[in-house]
Formats: sequence, C-alpha cells, structure tokens
Amino acid sequence: MSVAPASTRLDLDVLLGDWRNTNPEGKLKRIVVSSDKVSVDDWGSVAPSFYSFTFEDPVAGAFSAFFNLGFWWVRLQANVKAGVLVVVVLTEFYDSSGRSNFFDREFFHRCSAGFQPAPLPADEAQAGSPRYTGETS
Amino acid sequence: MDIERFAGSWKKTNEKPQWIESVDVETRGDILYVSIFGSAAPSPPVWGRVRAGVIYATRSDTTDTRGGGFLANYSFDDFDVEVQANLNLGLLVVATFVKFRGESGQAGLPVLQDRFTREFFFRGEA
Repeated sequence: MSVAPASTRLDLDVLLGDWRNTNPEGKLKRIVVSSDKVSVDDWGSVAPSFYSFTFEDPVAGAFSAFFNLGFWWVRLQANVKAGVLVVVVLTEFYDSSGRSNFFDREFFHRCSAGFQPAPLPADEAQAGSPRYTGETS
Repeated sequence: MDIERFAGSWKKTNEKPQWIESVDVETRGDILYVSIFGSAAPSPPVWGRVRAGVIYATRSDTTDTRGGGFLANYSFDDFDVEVQANLNLGLLVVATFVKFRGESGQAGLPVLQDRFTREFFFRGEA
C-alpha cells in the first residue's frame, strides 16, 4: 500500500512537560519532554520521535528516544495513558561486566506542562551527547 | 538467558481488527525469530520472519535470567516498524512504533501519521 507521510506536525501537548517518577524507588527520577528533545536525569538530551495513536490523528501520544551512554545504551519507549506517562526502558550493556540486557517499565506523572521546565543538571553541565556515569540508577 | 518462554503462536486478544493479528515466535538456542501477521490495512498481511535484534532480561536488580522482552525491526516500502514485545502475566504485550518514509504531500495518496500501538496476545493452542 502506498501512503504519504503527514505533512503537518503532530500536536505534542499531551506529552510536553516535566514528568516525575511515581515510584520514589524508581531507577529514573525525571523526564523532561520538549518539542525537540527529551532529557533524562543526568543522561543528557536527545531528539525523540513522536507518534500518534492512530494513523489519522494529528495528536501525539507516544515517543521513543535512544540514549548512547557509552558502554550501555538505553531505548525509551513512552506513551501517555490516563494522564500517566508509561515508560518502557530497554537497556543494553556493551562492557565486560557480564550484566544482562534488561527490560523495565516505570510510570511518571506530569508536574508541569505548558511552560519551560527548569533544566536538568545534565543540560546545565553539557549541551552535547549524554555521558557514561558507570551506573544504571 | 531463557528465551524458550517466548516461543509459540500468539493470537490477538481483541476480537476486532487491529494492527497485528498474530505473532509466531521461534527460538534456536540463543536466537529468537519472530513472524508477524497483519490484522487490518495498512498493516501488511504477512510481515515476514526476522531475527530479534536484542533480547532483554526481566529485571536488572535480580539474578533472574529469564527473557522478559525483545526488540525486532521491520522495513516496508513506505514505513519502518520497531517492534518491542514483553511477557506480562501470561500475555505477550507488543508495542510498535511505525515511522513513515519519503516525501510529504504526494498527490492522491492517503496521508498517515507516524503511529504507536500496544496490543495484547495470548498463547494459542499447540
């Protein structure tokens, strides 16, 4: 089937903002989503891809983002459901630690939307690619 | 990592048409192959068989070596699909990220948005 990609940008309102983990023990603490980047804790910022829930709807409800943190890579796959940002975290290791790649899911609530959230530490420290911290949490 | 637990023929839980009709998973040692069958257009009826690119354990903070999820990628004429599947409570939960390629505004063609799906599958009878 031949199709044409949409010529209009998706409405991102439901995704934009400052999201905090609902679980204080969660591995990720905070995710900040703007129209051109996703920032996570001290990993830094990357450009996400945004997705609609249907092929026809110009309203975004999900995003994916890829963080290359040196010896480990993380794919975030997130969607909003009932006001909660459901985030699948797919972690791959490329060091000699012998750790297994792992799958996890965490939930975030939005504590701010519609204004520019305060920058994450990583944004203030470096505007480039994420850095390797040596830890996964 | 134990990936046998993924193996089988997985059928959609939703009685109505959706993006994916069924998913067949085969394992060969540490290698996992996935075959996907589409449910409703523009999902292709037969996606084909691909090898999972990455397999993930269930959790990071246990010694559990059971496979918990996998990633696979498909490429079609007009779009690419990243498939992320995980086991949860006996279901195979399959998320897809559909990203269209090519120039926008091609006359006479339907205009479709990049799309996210999450669908649920139960293990069919052997």
